[in-house]
Amino acid sequence: MKFSQFILRRTLMVIPLLVGVVFLTFMLIRVGGLDPVGLLAGPTATADEFDMIREELGLNQPLWKQFLIYAGNVIQGDLGESWLSNRPVLEDIKSRSLISLELLFWGIGLGTLIGVPLGLRAAFRPNGRFDQITRILSLLGFSIPTYWLGLVMLFVFFYLLRWAPPGMGRISLMVNPPDFITGSYLVDSLLTANWQAAHSALSHLILPVICLAIVSAAPIIKQTRAIALEVISSDSVRYARACGLKTKTVREIVFKNSATPIITFVGTEITGLVGTMSLIEYVFAWGGLGQYGLNAIVRGDFTAVQGYVLTLALFSVLVFLVVDIIIAVIEPRSELN
Amino acid sequence: MNSTHSDQVSLATRIGNRLRGISRLSPTATAGVVIILLFGILALFSDLFMTHDPVSSYPDRILQAPSAQHWFGTDGNGMDVFSRVIYGAKFGFGIAIPAVIIAVIIGVPVGLVAGYRGGILDEVLMRIFDGLRVFPSIILALAVVAATGQSLINVVLVLGFLDSPVFARLVRAEVLALRSSIFVESAVAVGNPTWRILFLHLLPNSIQGAMAQTAVRAAWAVRISATLAFLGVGIQAPTPEWGAMIRQGAEFMVTGQWWVAIFPGLALIFLVFGLNLFGDGIQDILDPRRRASK
Amino acid sequence: MSLLSVKDLQTHFIFHDIDNQLREARALNNVNLSLDAGQILGIVGETGAGKSLTAQSICGLLRPPARIVGGSVVFDGRELLTLPEEELNNIRGADIAMVVQNPRSSLDPLTRIGEQLVRIHQTHTSGPLDGSRQKAMEMMQAVGIPDPQRRFTAWPHELSGGMAQRVLIAMALMNEPKLLIADEPTTGLDVTVQAQILDLLKELVARFDMASMIITHDLGIVAHYCDQVAVMFAGEIVEQGTLRDVFLQPAHPYTQQLLASTPERIKLGAETPLGGQPPDLFNLPVGCLSQDRCPLATDICRTSPPMVNLSIDHSARCHFANPNNKTAKSKGKKNG
Repeated sequence: MKFSQFILRRTLMVIPLLVGVVFLTFMLIRVGGLDPVGLLAGPTATADEFDMIREELGLNQPLWKQFLIYAGNVIQGDLGESWLSNRPVLEDIKSRSLISLELLFWGIGLGTLIGVPLGLRAAFRPNGRFDQITRILSLLGFSIPTYWLGLVMLFVFFYLLRWAPPGMGRISLMVNPPDFITGSYLVDSLLTANWQAAHSALSHLILPVICLAIVSAAPIIKQTRAIALEVISSDSVRYARACGLKTKTVREIVFKNSATPIITFVGTEITGLVGTMSLIEYVFAWGGLGQYGLNAIVRGDFTAVQGYVLTLALFSVLVFLVVDIIIAVIEPRSELN
Repeated sequence: MNSTHSDQVSLATRIGNRLRGISRLSPTATAGVVIILLFGILALFSDLFMTHDPVSSYPDRILQAPSAQHWFGTDGNGMDVFSRVIYGAKFGFGIAIPAVIIAVIIGVPVGLVAGYRGGILDEVLMRIFDGLRVFPSIILALAVVAATGQSLINVVLVLGFLDSPVFARLVRAEVLALRSSIFVESAVAVGNPTWRILFLHLLPNSIQGAMAQTAVRAAWAVRISATLAFLGVGIQAPTPEWGAMIRQGAEFMVTGQWWVAIFPGLALIFLVFGLNLFGDGIQDILDPRRRASK
Repeated sequence: MSLLSVKDLQTHFIFHDIDNQLREARALNNVNLSLDAGQILGIVGETGAGKSLTAQSICGLLRPPARIVGGSVVFDGRELLTLPEEELNNIRGADIAMVVQNPRSSLDPLTRIGEQLVRIHQTHTSGPLDGSRQKAMEMMQAVGIPDPQRRFTAWPHELSGGMAQRVLIAMALMNEPKLLIADEPTTGLDVTVQAQILDLLKELVARFDMASMIITHDLGIVAHYCDQVAVMFAGEIVEQGTLRDVFLQPAHPYTQQLLASTPERIKLGAETPLGGQPPDLFNLPVGCLSQDRCPLATDICRTSPPMVNLSIDHSARCHFANPNNKTAKSKGKKNG
């Protein structure tokens, strides 16, 4: 089938999921006892003022009507206004998304680059020394709280060694950020040959990226190993051995046949890792979407929370879609080829 | 395969053999159990191990480094960190165990019914679970707890609830596989009522995989509850919960008083690690992919 | 000197179970067989008799907890059981080639079949790529794959079962093997295709003057395509000889019952023709391994039966080895 046809079909299949996501986000906030009216009105409001606010927020309407209004707003891009920032939530989110994406990209990229080879190598010699050590490390990675790791790294590399800058934001306060091209301070300063900014941006990036990489590598190592072991015991690898193919060749076969499940897995991991990333942003005051969202939740900025959660969910759906498409392209068995 | 000697050997020896067998097959499971038991003892008998009262503050000894008197130093309120860390084990278990129990109590029956009945109920449930998967679990837990009220009970309920889809899905998968098997069909043919089939026939056979997950989900519950406390949601200072302690210690990390946040973190890591070791080890044993010895 | 000479091969499964007891399943018990160039040996037996395990043991393809615990396998003058893995790997796919069950899932799903043919050739010979490609085309033609030019770039999942099996045969022949082992080569294929594949195998074996071993549970296949037969039960060869000898004058009670109670084309399932359960490899009886199910069993069967030579090429492992045995279900000798 043609490529454009395929993309269209896949996108259409995702729409029910999108609707579900909007619905769940809507219910998520409504389900709690959190009273947005109380927060907006303040402690000195009268009963009348309460009612007024309630009506203004549309909370008098039956639930299904509220949902339709909400869904309609979302489609038009109106995510309400954050009472913390007094700006439209959509604006807040837009300005911060790229910032988080940068951290996510480097962090997960590094995590995958570390995790996949380790997992593969462990699978080639199961229960050997390397495998046992790697599995322990991976389980350890599952057990370390990200925020604690961030704090420890700040302590060691900033306080003790003075190698890293303080965990505040993406670039030193003394340095001017580079001109906006991609939104990534690092890339933009490199592109504009602004070496001072590049250095500052890089030094601010290192610790959070390493934190995210360590935490994301743990499940990747474990799952890559499991996937590779399954491939190794499959008919095709057994037959490859029977053909007398060299070990190097057999390993290539294992790797290629593991690629699709690994990509799928990393795609599903991204969802959880976005949450972890938010915590890292919080610790390092990264100024991205994660920090914004966490603040909103903790301070009860109800519309902002809704927008934040919705964005995360939509991002996950997008990731699933992209992974689907990538796999369809590289797999000879897919319906595309 | 039963050994013909088993009748003559005493129960104690058989148990010993089984334990030795398990530890040979999976040293990780054994190590995990040891760690969990260690923390269990600390949690149950914390009075024996604490050197000071965990919520008493000594205003003249604020932020003291670890010393002979205060093994883990004191925090910003002058409280003994060591005793607080020991006491915190209670929260680890106190949250994780009920949360996992709730998750199992909700998830397993749902999985049984959804897998056995199928139809609309199954479809709807699966769609809901699929829909939930696009939300990062941390954020979901955080948002719901923040919205529904920040008490300990709430944390346990929310975590249990959010964890149930895992169990439901596992049990459902097993039930689907077993549903068309001979022994279930004969049970139906004989005329057993549905509930009997579900609980006497299907449940014992589908539950194995789910049980292996309990340790891993408990580890998750411990982690998440600490994360919530760290963010200031759920449990607050001066309660000696590890996450809350890390929260308090965060500001001191960059001024050099590392002990306030590091020790609770280490305790947290250790317990979660033990649970993960155990869960991983059990999964290894149950999975045919394990390699045999010799 | 035979091309392949297997003597007293023992393969066991050894592991600790969950109760920390050491378990040992004696899967192959003193397997003896020999093969020369140009011969087609059929190894026949029920599921679990140890047929595939024999082939895997010969090629060194065992996975833990299976281990070879005794015996010798001499191929082309070399003892395979003591060869280092690397050298064994050089022999596999070249001098000894295997054709397996499940051809569609055995081919590498991510490589085009022409490339796989080239790959197996390049692994064992050092020559130009073009030479390998040329040879691949020739082999594809030899195994009867229509339109080889086009099929060269086909993916394995685009092939039918029969076509995939032809590819496997072509793969096996790329390096002109001396010994071709076919392990259940037609199981799972359409009945019409089965005959085609077997005819093809027989023709190619003759053309290239290879020694060949066909492992199957189908007596009919043995009857039509093999000239030597070895009957396996409980991990040992209970009777072996030329096709005529074994099928027309079976001497071992197991073989006799097999042939007597079955029509020509029979599939041997889990239940043995002698009735009862498959043998428990963890607890094999002392003496003759078939005694639990044999109608002729008496006290003497508690001692290991000798391999009785009924003629030059025909032997059976039984105290009562005799073509004139009256086994309980036997209706006399049956033509295979």
